[in-house]
Amino acid sequence: MEVEVFSTEFWQAFAPEAILIVGLLLIFIIPNLGNSKFRIPLTKVQVPWFLGGRRFSITGSPAIPGMLATATLFTALGMMAIESVDGNMDTTTVTSNGLVILQLDNFSRFFEILFLAAVLLASMASLDRIPAHTFSGKKSLDELYDNRRQADFYILMLTTAVGMCTVALAQDLFVLFVGLELASLATYVLVGFHKESKAGAESGVKYFIVGSVASGIGLYGLSLLYLEFGSLQLATIAANWSDSTLLGTIALGLVLVGFGFKVSAAPFHFAAPDAYAGANSPVAGVLATASKAMGMIGLIRVLLVIALPEGGTDESAIWLYTIATLSVITMTWGNVAALGSTNPKRMLAYSSVAHAGYMLAALTAVGAWKWGEIEAPGDYAEAIVAAVLFHLFVLVAFKLGAFLVLGLLEMEGEVSRLSALSGLARRDPLIGTAMFIFMLALAGVPPLAGFMSKFLVIAGIVSTSIGELWMNGTVSFSDLHWVWWLALAMFINSAISVFYYLRIGVVMFLDIPEESRRKPLPYGASIRMAIWICLVATILLGLSGDTLIDMCYRAADSLNLA
Amino acid sequence: MLIGGLLIIVAGLMAFFPSLNESDTTVDWISLPLVGFPIIVSCILLAFASQESRARKEVLAVPIRLFTLVASMIPLAISTALFFDWLILVDWDLMYNEYALEKEYVWIETIGVSWHVGMDGLSFPMVWLTTFLVPITIITTWNEKDGATYHPLLLMMGGALIGVFVALDLFLFYVFWELTLIPMFFLILKWGGKDRRYAAQKFFIYTFCASVIMLLGLITLYFLQPEGSGAQYGTVTGRTFDMTVLFSNATAYNMGDNVFLGKDMQNVLFAMLMIGFLVKLPAVPFHTWLPDAHVQAPTGGSMLLAGVMLKMGAYGMLRIPIAIFPDAVVYYQDVIMAIGLISLVWGAIVCLGQTNLKKMVAYSSVSHMGVILLGIASMQPIGYAAALFMMFAHGIISPMLFAVCGAFKHHYHSMEIGAMRGMAKWSPYLAVYMMFAWMASLGLPLLAGFVAELMVMIAFWPEYGWWILLPGAVLAITAAYYLWSMQRTIFEGGDEGQPPESLNGETPPDITLSENIGMIILAIFTVIFGIFPFIALGMMDQWTVAFFEGVFNMGGI
Repeated sequence: MEVEVFSTEFWQAFAPEAILIVGLLLIFIIPNLGNSKFRIPLTKVQVPWFLGGRRFSITGSPAIPGMLATATLFTALGMMAIESVDGNMDTTTVTSNGLVILQLDNFSRFFEILFLAAVLLASMASLDRIPAHTFSGKKSLDELYDNRRQADFYILMLTTAVGMCTVALAQDLFVLFVGLELASLATYVLVGFHKESKAGAESGVKYFIVGSVASGIGLYGLSLLYLEFGSLQLATIAANWSDSTLLGTIALGLVLVGFGFKVSAAPFHFAAPDAYAGANSPVAGVLATASKAMGMIGLIRVLLVIALPEGGTDESAIWLYTIATLSVITMTWGNVAALGSTNPKRMLAYSSVAHAGYMLAALTAVGAWKWGEIEAPGDYAEAIVAAVLFHLFVLVAFKLGAFLVLGLLEMEGEVSRLSALSGLARRDPLIGTAMFIFMLALAGVPPLAGFMSKFLVIAGIVSTSIGELWMNGTVSFSDLHWVWWLALAMFINSAISVFYYLRIGVVMFLDIPEESRRKPLPYGASIRMAIWICLVATILLGLSGDTLIDMCYRAADSLNLA
Repeated sequence: MLIGGLLIIVAGLMAFFPSLNESDTTVDWISLPLVGFPIIVSCILLAFASQESRARKEVLAVPIRLFTLVASMIPLAISTALFFDWLILVDWDLMYNEYALEKEYVWIETIGVSWHVGMDGLSFPMVWLTTFLVPITIITTWNEKDGATYHPLLLMMGGALIGVFVALDLFLFYVFWELTLIPMFFLILKWGGKDRRYAAQKFFIYTFCASVIMLLGLITLYFLQPEGSGAQYGTVTGRTFDMTVLFSNATAYNMGDNVFLGKDMQNVLFAMLMIGFLVKLPAVPFHTWLPDAHVQAPTGGSMLLAGVMLKMGAYGMLRIPIAIFPDAVVYYQDVIMAIGLISLVWGAIVCLGQTNLKKMVAYSSVSHMGVILLGIASMQPIGYAAALFMMFAHGIISPMLFAVCGAFKHHYHSMEIGAMRGMAKWSPYLAVYMMFAWMASLGLPLLAGFVAELMVMIAFWPEYGWWILLPGAVLAITAAYYLWSMQRTIFEGGDEGQPPESLNGETPPDITLSENIGMIILAIFTVIFGIFPFIALGMMDQWTVAFFEGVFNMGGI
């Protein structure tokens, strides 16, 4: 179905996103409702205007923005989930002046669900992590700060969500870039929101500077693409890609820098550990899951939709060796750096760098499907993309979950050393066990979701390397395509990664808590609730991932790769 | 009542897995009673036991301990009853790739994973051994501190181990294979010795590294299989993880002229799978995790580790790579023989140099696992039967050795062999059990270990001739050394009235009642299987004959 922008059908199709915008506006308006009046000039008539003046005590409560944001996200997510879980989505294309701007299909809806789930969990956790205090009684300075920043924080959260949804929907690289920047700018500020420590502001600035340089390079790449093709429409560029000159290749490389920064692939990952360590944990969790997925959308659109040769030739994609090299460097670098980091948030950041490497390896395998003997490349490409999507989705469960546990610990003081976790399993056995399960899932221990995702990615790579060889009867080892070695590299890397994930378990179960952390853990109903949701998802998606795998396949299918 | 409630919950859970064969209405004696029940009960008990207050935990320890013991008896009762046909008539007379009590449920449709379980002559002895050892271990280590979590972990370990043995689906097999690591990791981490932090991590990482390589081999194998259609096949991938399908494919290809895979592909995959299993076994040079894990592990952990977990390696080898790649076995025959021989000799020699009792027992395990590899490398039916019986016999003897070590540590507060003097005077029971366990381990006739070693030697001779002198000589020398050191430690020095230094002048006590019960049961079974080996051997023989017919296309023994 094709609809014009802002037509009735448009609003019907994009109701969940509209709800996000409405929620965003409400957070602007509701806390500012007051008794102000507007005097009509030159008269004495005063019309009640309600914005500004003395704020009403009910609507001015600092707890309102958080509740509002959570409720908005929950509603939007619920609407999306109901629409898409049970079956195929109708593809809705939004056009304006003949240009395709947005497209709502299984792929974009899948990512929207992912983004909203991540942001929803983070904002639920933030209700406790950045608590709002009532007006009654005397307030300490910190509590007043907390109250002041409520509205800002949740506005930024919702803006991030809206930006990310735009990226998921975009069919035009320019729109995609606008969405990317909308989300990025909001996250730069969110990273700096961690005012309790000096690291917060510093990391916010660092993330902003590096991020804007990366975006600038990406934008330059986009402009070169425009120069080459005269359009930034995905469909147009993809159709003309086979005729592109060197300029197109250079432009592709530059665009990759922009998205590589978002997925924190080496060598563009340097800001990530600082940003994650400086941000407060729920925000860091959003960066490590949703923001990474956003970058991944960019990579999938640019690498797989645009830059795969469409002809039936034997040649593989031009970026094949570049991305293969990057993937091995990224996963190894991430894991080795994580081995040496004693700050749990930095460790998780490096582990997310390693996970980016795994996903790049999967994309490499898709690029390899054009080689000789594979006859039905579509299935293989789809399987791998579906595996990547599955991986991105379950990351929301266990990586965000791990960050939320750190967020719970942050409520009693900074978590910048491994020893902050010591004795967690004794202080609160359930939370400790949950954290350990998240770690095992990250390491890829069956039967958790992390194992399933790694398994699917590797199975995808191996299946590409084998292709249709099994039909020939006698398969020799040297017949396998070299991407098989990427699977081995992934396995060796995940074996390395067990070292540091296990170390967290050992510290939690064996060590004695620090002096300042002998009291019971802070309660925090909603952050605990978010942790339980993550835990249940981690276990259930590992035990029976069929529904999600199906969803991922439908999403990958709607990319129309083959 | 609690058990009944649990069973209802579990039955409800199982309703989510629709059976592949709907007309099959026989009772599923494996999934729930043997595998699901121990794991689920232990999870619930652990949830109960996870109390922040230490006092409440202490109060809970006794009922939880008792409950765990009762719960662990249920699988034992069922597996025993299945052997003697008390519950239902089980046909153990199986051809190759036929399984008793087979059940299959759909699990992950998209990639062709099913919950497929069943038992044959290879797995049933191991399953029975596991169900037998778990209650024995619980009894022997009855007084372990923090019993509210310790004993459920043992139970969970048992369930996961049984899962490895009954799994007939590669995915399921791998899931249980890794699941066994987690309870053992905690057993070592929380109840281990001084270096437990190092030992637990080394244990986990070492075996995990090996098994991911194995997993890559399995995935590659999965995609090399021909595509098919049917309930077992993945709706998306068109392949299946079902082992029985894999075996029948492999057999069909091996029998005909058409080769399943290229020779070098077979060799590569065989090597990848074997790495996972050899590390678990463990064979020299992949054995270094074992002494650390054993020395640091608590008694119960060591008993299950040596008793069953090491056998997972041998079991996996026989179940998967050897069954699928018979040509590769021939190709690697000398390598396997060399690794087996080196493990045997190296383990025995290092064993001689140990001053730590537990380390000594650990290296003797390495040595015995070498015997299993020799049996496999012999390529004779009797060698395979011997390997199976060795797995079984070592599964009874080594827990007894570790129980003795644990009792010694418990009462003498030391592991050093030098600390023992005149044990027969201070602790007569302990001395008797120690003596008995060592004799059994050395292969004294009429005890279970002897049968296996003799059979391996018989199988070894036609294949490798005079090389037999090497293992023979090593066995003789180590026997002499053990007897001499036993004579020194158990009988000498008691009359001087000097108790060991590690006790600071106190009189060393004898073992407790629970340790006594556990050890005497193990001793009785060692004798029973030494005098009447055919109880277990009959089933193993049958399996071996069928295996050789099915895989190597050879006649019986």
